[in-house]
Amino acid sequence: MSFLLRRLSFYFTAFLIAISFNFMLPRMMPGDPIDALFAAAQGKMDPAQMDAVREMYGFVDGNVFEQYLSYMQSVFTLDLGPSVLMFPIDVTTVVGMSLPWTMFLALGSLIVALILGVTIGTYSSYRREGFFGQFVPPFLAFISNFPYIVTALLLFYFFGLQLELLPLAYTYDPAIDPGFTLEFIGSVAKHAVLPMGSMILVGIATWVFNMRNAMINVLGEDYVTMAEAKGLSSYRVMYRYAGRNAILPVATAIAMAIGFSFAGSIMTEVVFNYQGLGNILLKGIMARDYPLIQAILLILVSAVLTANFVADLLYVWLDPRISK
Amino acid sequence: MNNSITSDANAPVPGHKSEFKKKCHSAWIKTKAFFHGNPPAIIGVSLITVILLGALFAPVLSTHNPEKRVARPHEAPSAEHVLGSTRNGRDVYSQVLHGARKSLTVALFAGIIAMTIAIAVGVTSGYLGGKIDEWMNFITNVFLVFPQLPLLIVLAAFLGQVGSTVITVLLGVTSWPWGARVIRSQTMAIRNKEFIISAEVMGESKIRIILVEILPNLISIVFGGFLGTVIYAMGAEAGLGILGLGDATEVSWGSMLYWAQVSSSLYTGAWWEMLVPAIALALTGGALALINMSIDQVSNPKLKTGPHMKLWKKMNRETMKRRGLL
Repeated sequence: MSFLLRRLSFYFTAFLIAISFNFMLPRMMPGDPIDALFAAAQGKMDPAQMDAVREMYGFVDGNVFEQYLSYMQSVFTLDLGPSVLMFPIDVTTVVGMSLPWTMFLALGSLIVALILGVTIGTYSSYRREGFFGQFVPPFLAFISNFPYIVTALLLFYFFGLQLELLPLAYTYDPAIDPGFTLEFIGSVAKHAVLPMGSMILVGIATWVFNMRNAMINVLGEDYVTMAEAKGLSSYRVMYRYAGRNAILPVATAIAMAIGFSFAGSIMTEVVFNYQGLGNILLKGIMARDYPLIQAILLILVSAVLTANFVADLLYVWLDPRISK
Repeated sequence: MNNSITSDANAPVPGHKSEFKKKCHSAWIKTKAFFHGNPPAIIGVSLITVILLGALFAPVLSTHNPEKRVARPHEAPSAEHVLGSTRNGRDVYSQVLHGARKSLTVALFAGIIAMTIAIAVGVTSGYLGGKIDEWMNFITNVFLVFPQLPLLIVLAAFLGQVGSTVITVLLGVTSWPWGARVIRSQTMAIRNKEFIISAEVMGESKIRIILVEILPNLISIVFGGFLGTVIYAMGAEAGLGILGLGDATEVSWGSMLYWAQVSSSLYTGAWWEMLVPAIALALTGGALALINMSIDQVSNPKLKTGPHMKLWKKMNRETMKRRGLL
């Protein structure tokens, strides 16, 4: 349990650092951020609302420390001010609407890539001398290291525009009412194929190579030879003996991959016009909607930290020794 | 094998000519061994060579001024404009050559900055240990857990449209933690080896131990991390570019993507404006990854794939047959 507590306090500290960073951002910017905001709002905000935004940013009378506390308070009460882009709606609502889609895209693709990658990695290391083991890993290394944006663009062009197989925008068909119906779920799945596919393509090589390297080390162990000598089926040796032990070092890489996956989701959403955080972020940047941009960063950091904690739980489950 | 891991302190200084010749010969043998039966390495290195030559000789190879209007908007590829023209009438072929310079410079320098920080942090904390290690490891982990690209996007958004120098520095200072972590654990693994202990007993200074004894043993890891960072930085530059956060007046692969996106060239059928820089980025990333993979195999021969695995399989079968097992 002390392991999880330690991790929890680490994530909390990291979150505090993220808040501090967010607090410093408008102060680092050239010029007065409130003026810039006022210019961006183009007269949509009245002075009372401007004061509210000022307070949210922590631009209150007092020294820096008091300002910092004031900002901290507005973060923890989720009072992040109104969005300039979609004026009367406040930032928290805008972000709340698009966060689930980004989570779906980032975590969904991560999980699929992880399962596929670990399977391919296991098989390609066990059959290293065959065609599969010789050809597939280098091929995946090549394909997987295209930048996120490029893979997304290529899939977008060939499967979306040229072959017209799959939809090119939105998270679901706007003509369908959202709800727990087969039609809606089908539409969501259809719209997710290309963005998720491109993210899986980019993410998969990490797992193939991590798993392959770990497997190759494990395959030299005596208990694997023993298992083979006993005449166990190669499937059993591969997954129950070697794979089960090789997966531990692979699981440690999940923590880093989560951040990458969210970053990739931001890029992919822009290409596929997927209605997640990335899309909102781009619109926010173009409209100079600073409260929105900051809120997105904050929510992304919290999502990544939470996902990391879940990965820690998974790790404890995989290797009970570390919680002792 | 091209293995620079062993730092042989007793090796004779190449004094006269025959010694020098011998060294050259062994370097040649090592290079040959690196490429022998390793198609990924051959493909990767030749692709990267072509790309680097293209970037280096861009002024000679390009047919037009990349920053001038030289054609009608969205002209299809022809003899005059080999890869067509952009919406603004720029020659895509000349732009992609010149863009390579900017994009690769950004990526290379970001990689150098990142790996310098990574080495400094990783080796110090891995070798010194104690309180310093605790703090440095904490900072590394915090940076590692933050989503770097969104952080970068937000920073760039707040700074306004930033030039390539600022992007290079931002990329460099945000992408070191992964390298630092790997270098730290490798340093910890060799810290208690005999040659380090003997150097300590001889009274060598800490700086000398770090620079002369530890660093040469980390070269393959550092180089691997460097290539990984270059791939990442190149992608990030392109990503920032297409979001309109880079300087759109500079010619880079990122800004080319930006203009192609703005003119919705894919929808209007002018695929060349978007796909040419995209494919350039893809080939560079893929080629660097192949090289990275081959380097991994050199520093850890267990990971090798190649014809010798087939030979092993054949010999294995023959042995089994001889023993009557097959």
